[in-house]
Amino acid sequence: MPGDFLDRYSLGNTVCHRLPPTLKIVLAAAVIAGCALLPVAYWPAHGCLACLVFVGLSLAEIPLSYLVHRLALFLPLVLVTALSVPLSRGFAGGWEIAATVVIRSLVAFLAALWLVSTTPFDRLLAAMSRLGMPRLFSALLAFTYRYIYVLFDELARMKTAQRARTFGKRSAWQRWTATTRLVGLLLIRALNRAVRIHGAMVSRGWRGDMRTLD
Amino acid sequence: MSHAPAPILKVAHLSYRYPVGQIALCDVNFVVGVNEIVGLVGPNGAGKTTLLLHLNGLLLGTRLAPRNGETASVGTAGYVGAAQNAAGADSNNESRAPVEVLGMPVIPENFPEIRRNVGVMFQDPDDQLFCPTVRDDVAFGPLNLDFPRDEVLRRVAESLASVGLAGFEDRRPHELSFGEKRRVCLAGVLACEPSLLALDEPSSNLDPRSRRGLIEILKKCPAAQIIASHDLELVVELCSRVIVLDQGRIQADGPTREILGNEALMARHGLEVPLSIRYGLEFGKGPR
Repeated sequence: MPGDFLDRYSLGNTVCHRLPPTLKIVLAAAVIAGCALLPVAYWPAHGCLACLVFVGLSLAEIPLSYLVHRLALFLPLVLVTALSVPLSRGFAGGWEIAATVVIRSLVAFLAALWLVSTTPFDRLLAAMSRLGMPRLFSALLAFTYRYIYVLFDELARMKTAQRARTFGKRSAWQRWTATTRLVGLLLIRALNRAVRIHGAMVSRGWRGDMRTLD
Repeated sequence: MSHAPAPILKVAHLSYRYPVGQIALCDVNFVVGVNEIVGLVGPNGAGKTTLLLHLNGLLLGTRLAPRNGETASVGTAGYVGAAQNAAGADSNNESRAPVEVLGMPVIPENFPEIRRNVGVMFQDPDDQLFCPTVRDDVAFGPLNLDFPRDEVLRRVAESLASVGLAGFEDRRPHELSFGEKRRVCLAGVLACEPSLLALDEPSSNLDPRSRRGLIEILKKCPAAQIIASHDLELVVELCSRVIVLDQGRIQADGPTREILGNEALMARHGLEVPLSIRYGLEFGKGPR
């Protein structure tokens, strides 16, 4: 299943998985806030927070290979941002700031990853609503979670159909235009689906406000 | 017909033209009585889905009977009669709306009551299962009907059990098989306890076992039903009456075996006589 990256570890059963979701959200938020607010001079504290997050990740039995995969997508972005500081000073300084940016975002990223890898998404949403997140946001996130799988499936089917009718080697330009067409088509299909979903919601008495069981 | 029970659904001179211009429904008239299960058959593009979308006001057609052969006068999207109704054309209030459910004209003022009474099941279960878990999804209708939490949970458990999915509350829609998704959709509709079920291609893409399960569930369902389907054997088995729709018009309306057994009629509208009727097989034609 192409979209299983979200739930791959969240349905496990470790100490971390059994903690109440509300507590986990507060913990993760505290780590992220602490890491962002501590001055650069207190760098051992940053190290402690990082250790804490790694302990959490290992208690949740999340494999290192998975972390490396996630970081491979995330790190380049952070590195470019961090390097822009020394760059703006002609590489004559600003290295501590760059290092802080990298460490802070790493800890925050891993703390958030720990949170979503130990809590099923629907429980996470319910807990966030209890903590005061507006209904509109939780509804938006719930829809995103629900339909990201449908969209991935649709994309996979379209790609397969495209490959089935592609013969021989194609130039980069041909591949590029084919991809843009695919994305455009996916957008149109998603819009049509949104219209149908709205019809289905209205049919079951929806009047504009999201009600949930909690 | 004088002793016929009060109709659940009455469609009179319903016409509808898509905003882009082509006419989808033209002078459609029929009545569905209590406990009736009506099959709606016809080739692709005949207007079956469009008709179903009118039953709970997702589309609003016009009440218009075109004169002989003249179809150009069919109005465009939107219900022109609504404004007149609001202005207080009291005496012929009902006669203005082309669709009536339980005697209520399908106009925006009546939408809440009509939508609790008409349950629509759409073709693609992914369109209808929009909540993160099965429980949330089946609870969606009852929650919108303002039931207390206990009653909502009771309805969720009951309707999941009635489709044979008891204990599926915590499952996530994307983990379900296609057949299970469709049954959850049906549970979500049944949880509102509708008087009329409008089903759009309920058996499409189902394997024989899932199809059989669905047919048995529908047989037990107490609501009146209108089933749009290409699965003519399903229609033979479930429906006592059939409506043939082609090019937006009703071409035939009558007892299932009489209509679907009419070779010339079937051929004319891109259909074929079901094998069970052709070879006189009675199995599966159980009493309702």
